[in-house]
Amino acid sequence: MPAALNDTPLDGVVVIEHCRSVAGSYAGRMLALMGARVIKIEAPGTGDPLRRMPPFLDGEQRSALFDYINVNKASITLDLSTKPGRALLDELLKKADVFMDDTRPLDRRALGIDPEQVADQQPSLLYASVLPFGAVGNHCNYFAYELNTLHSGGEGYLMPNGLALDLFPERPPVKIYGQFAQFVGGTSAVCAIISGLLVQDQVGGQLLDISVQDANVALSCFNIQRLGEGVLENRHGRSFQYGGVLECVDGYVGLLTLEQKQWEGLVKLMGDPEWTQEEWLKDPLNRGRRGAEINKHIRAWAKSQRVEDLVLRGQAQGVPLAKYVGPDEIMAAEQTKARDMFVEVDIPGVGKVPMLTAPFQLMTPETLTAYPAQPGASNAAVFCEMLGHSKAELDRWRADKVV
Amino acid sequence: MMNKPTINKPTIRKPLQGVRITDFTVHAAGPFCTHMLALLGAECIKVESTKRMDVFRKPHPVYGRMEAASFAQVAANKLSIQINMKHARGAELARRVIAISDIMCESFRPGVMERLGIGYEALKAIKHDIVMVSISACGQTGPERNYRGYAPLFGATGGLGTLTGFADGPPVEMRHAMDHGTGLAAAAATLAAYLRKKRTGKGQHVDISAREVATSFIGDALLQYAATGQSSGRQGNDIPGMAPHNVYPCLGTDMWISIAVAQDSEWAGLARAMGREQWISDPQYATSASRWEHRRVLDEEIAQWTRTRTREALTALLQKHGVAAFPSYHAKDIVEDPHMLSRGAIKELRSPKGETRLAVGVPWRFSRTPGSIDTWTPELGEHNRYVFGELLGMKESEILELIEDQAIY
Repeated sequence: MPAALNDTPLDGVVVIEHCRSVAGSYAGRMLALMGARVIKIEAPGTGDPLRRMPPFLDGEQRSALFDYINVNKASITLDLSTKPGRALLDELLKKADVFMDDTRPLDRRALGIDPEQVADQQPSLLYASVLPFGAVGNHCNYFAYELNTLHSGGEGYLMPNGLALDLFPERPPVKIYGQFAQFVGGTSAVCAIISGLLVQDQVGGQLLDISVQDANVALSCFNIQRLGEGVLENRHGRSFQYGGVLECVDGYVGLLTLEQKQWEGLVKLMGDPEWTQEEWLKDPLNRGRRGAEINKHIRAWAKSQRVEDLVLRGQAQGVPLAKYVGPDEIMAAEQTKARDMFVEVDIPGVGKVPMLTAPFQLMTPETLTAYPAQPGASNAAVFCEMLGHSKAELDRWRADKVV
Repeated sequence: MMNKPTINKPTIRKPLQGVRITDFTVHAAGPFCTHMLALLGAECIKVESTKRMDVFRKPHPVYGRMEAASFAQVAANKLSIQINMKHARGAELARRVIAISDIMCESFRPGVMERLGIGYEALKAIKHDIVMVSISACGQTGPERNYRGYAPLFGATGGLGTLTGFADGPPVEMRHAMDHGTGLAAAAATLAAYLRKKRTGKGQHVDISAREVATSFIGDALLQYAATGQSSGRQGNDIPGMAPHNVYPCLGTDMWISIAVAQDSEWAGLARAMGREQWISDPQYATSASRWEHRRVLDEEIAQWTRTRTREALTALLQKHGVAAFPSYHAKDIVEDPHMLSRGAIKELRSPKGETRLAVGVPWRFSRTPGSIDTWTPELGEHNRYVFGELLGMKESEILELIEDQAIY
């Protein structure tokens, strides 16, 4: 690892990202926001299939997801199945600290990018394998997208709970919005990669085998812990005994009273109705046992409440209550602005739009650069300036469809 | 295998070997962060007191647990000490522990650490390069920094819960996965800050807002809204552009399989696996857009087919045809899965009393510096003597006096 020249944690660190999965690309995003130089390899021609994933932003067909997870990266194209393509990868890896790859183990060998083959050439390189089920084990060659990995980790089986489940008890489990399990896998990969960088000077390179499933099982560890206590969790059993999502006149709030004081605040907030005066309700264990009865009352009461007013009064009484807000309200919130959560990014064909930075306040770059519209937009910068090849060579590779 | 904190094995270097953390976090998000770091080899000293015990040591009726947990995953691999932070000598003792640490983690409400005299500025004076990590509901700054919250609530204010759920139904509460997701993001940020300290000699204050972590999971929806003024709202199991894409019933009670198709080749694989080759040439299913249009019809057809088959048989068949399919796993499926067991992703732990418990193992396999999960949930104050005596060099009489004074409490 070279010396850091600026204040970002990963300044000077070079990451070659050969990933098409959301998990791998999201890991690359985080590393880029931490200051690494991330170079994404796409297939020559149409590039990453995620480019064509709706929903699209205005103007040209730019995928919102693809733009979000690939910000601040360079794009090169390389056909690894060709000899010159594979040779160029070796040159790149010589200049790199980290190689991130999500090719199926079965296909890695054919491309000559099996971890062992790469380690022979590049002993100090960190090879971060980011796969749905990891690089070893019976399922390592399995295909999986977000929905499958979410369900492989245990959380998929347990959603939804509370009101949504009470309304639709017969429906299949419902997923968490978007690419939750993949982002978790990507964040897990970042943990492994930085850990590898921490000891790279002492132990050299190594294989980091990151499994999106393992990361999601870790996140769902409470589920495994409950099994150890003799409880096999399901959607119905896992619902909060009382509280959760409540429907109001003009939207939804979440309510969770874990402490006695909070429960007492809730009783006050409801105006000390008669049903709350019963003796058994004073004991938190009893409340846990008879949550359904409590919920019936709370849900009926909430239906006459207005969200904003309820949340304000609730917080004043020390009752944990929150409004379910959408993208519009998040972007307009004072808290969002006060914490500079968004930075403007100029997306070709779309214009300047605010984009969320990283989910932590760290030394991150203050500017965001949109991912190039054309696959291979950074070819000259990488192959000529970084690797020292001539323009003529690049033209030849272009003609041969190597890049 | 007890992992004695004083014995290091130089031949098997863990990534965070020799790194010490003072950990004031409780509940789920903070402890998950430090649990990850403890798996990577950090010596994590968990600070509690008789007055301020972590939730797993108590009943948790809202979650339906009527007694203390006998084992807590996120406390495993950690040491436990008791310090009464409300006692002046307790706060002083805490400063001494932090002074011999590389990282300090806390999840108090913003402002509490300052009042206790261990805010970031005060800590810098004790240890100039300390990495301080604060995990809170809304962050350390901004008008809503004092907002109180738990995972389902920052799932609400962060927007993730709002966009989760059936299209014709209400939002859905985020559960431990949200707390732990916050902890995981915090672990990544902490590692980055520690790497920066190693490279530059500079410490820093890392500010993690659970609500912002929730929001990071809807970054694409926010970008879409910013660019178009549109938001897709709750979409059930749909992902635009992918069809079929759903969870289908299988043989057995509450048994499901997830099937996801994006590319034409995967669609052809599904049709072949189902014995419906005619679908491949059917123009109404020819493109992903047309399959998306007819997704409800397809869902019906596929559910008819899956209903009479086992999850395992379907998964094997579909994977053979190149289709992304996997059972909806419950906890028992996970701990019995030979694949997971072969990866060490599930481990059996043994308590000092001889109880055994299945725990989640290290979620990464490092070929040279593997992490490990070794020790059971510590008893409250189990490591008082090691930390105060061995690490801080306090005499036994001094420790006893602080216990008497309820500073160690």
